[in-house]
Amino acid sequence: MKSIFLHVAPNLIALALLFGSSANAAEPAADATAPAIAAKLVLRGLPNGVKVSEMRLTRKNDVLVVQADLQNVTKKDLVAYHRFLWLDASGNQVGDGESWKQTSIYGDQIATIKSVAPSSAVVDLRLEMNVEKK
Amino acid sequence: MKLFRTACLGLVLGSLLVLAACETKVSSPVIRLQRQVNYGDAKGVELVTNEFGSGDLQQIAEKMVGSLLETGIFQGRPTVTISTVKNKTSEYIDTTNVMNSIQTQLVKSGKVRFTRSIQEMQAGTDELQRQTQSGLYKQGTQAKVGQMTAAKFSLEGELTSIVKQSSGTKDVFYKFTLKMFDVQEGTIEWQEEKEIRKTSKR
Repeated sequence: MKSIFLHVAPNLIALALLFGSSANAAEPAADATAPAIAAKLVLRGLPNGVKVSEMRLTRKNDVLVVQADLQNVTKKDLVAYHRFLWLDASGNQVGDGESWKQTSIYGDQIATIKSVAPSSAVVDLRLEMNVEKK
Repeated sequence: MKLFRTACLGLVLGSLLVLAACETKVSSPVIRLQRQVNYGDAKGVELVTNEFGSGDLQQIAEKMVGSLLETGIFQGRPTVTISTVKNKTSEYIDTTNVMNSIQTQLVKSGKVRFTRSIQEMQAGTDELQRQTQSGLYKQGTQAKVGQMTAAKFSLEGELTSIVKQSSGTKDVFYKFTLKMFDVQEGTIEWQEEKEIRKTSKR
């Protein structure tokens, strides 16, 4: 009985890993950010359970205003570090760059972060972010 | 032979699991006490103590500037001056620093012009007197007296704090409030506040 288990168990694990990986390839991870938003996202390391579920850009009184929803897809409380980088029409960074902000996101919570461009020259942005477990 | 094949398969699977566990973590942009001295990230989240720090100053300035630019109150590049900024906390905080950061970012935005504040006026009048009364300067190059532009708006702020402490926890809540008055009419034309909570545990 023991020898049968020894022979079968590794093969079963291999099969499970194989199917697991093919399933992952077909479906995006729960914390995967949609490609359109991901183009604006500079993620440092793994998302660790936080995805940018929405990003809204508007031009108010000639300055760019952004709101981004950081969604914690886990049950655990997580800490995200983030800042916006502002870019002009040539792709150059405008200003010195924002300060890093620390935001606690409770399990299953969506935290909205907001920022306003420092001048009218800004036409694009990047959200720089990393997530660490609490 | 079968046993050898099983052992090989197990070894491969084990290696895969070890590789998955050895995932490299990225650092967070934080500043903590270390024995060695290094140049750090001036924009990093400073967590050395829970007293008022560089990160708080930067966050306050960014929020105030963003709110001012977003409202569109600066249509036509009006003139603004900085009035008082009161520190009502129990800490020593140079509130001029907060206002300097706000002023710098607003000037760089190109949306507003600042006039001399009360604190900066003495240096301005000294230079004006030197040009007009010393007899050292050519006619036509001197600045004229009575040509200063008065401020349409005045910025007034205050910083307050609520501190709660137990045996193992210290909680500090800061609130920075900034108001912009129309100097002539005395009305508040814009107001914003920034709240910051910092908690430390022993």
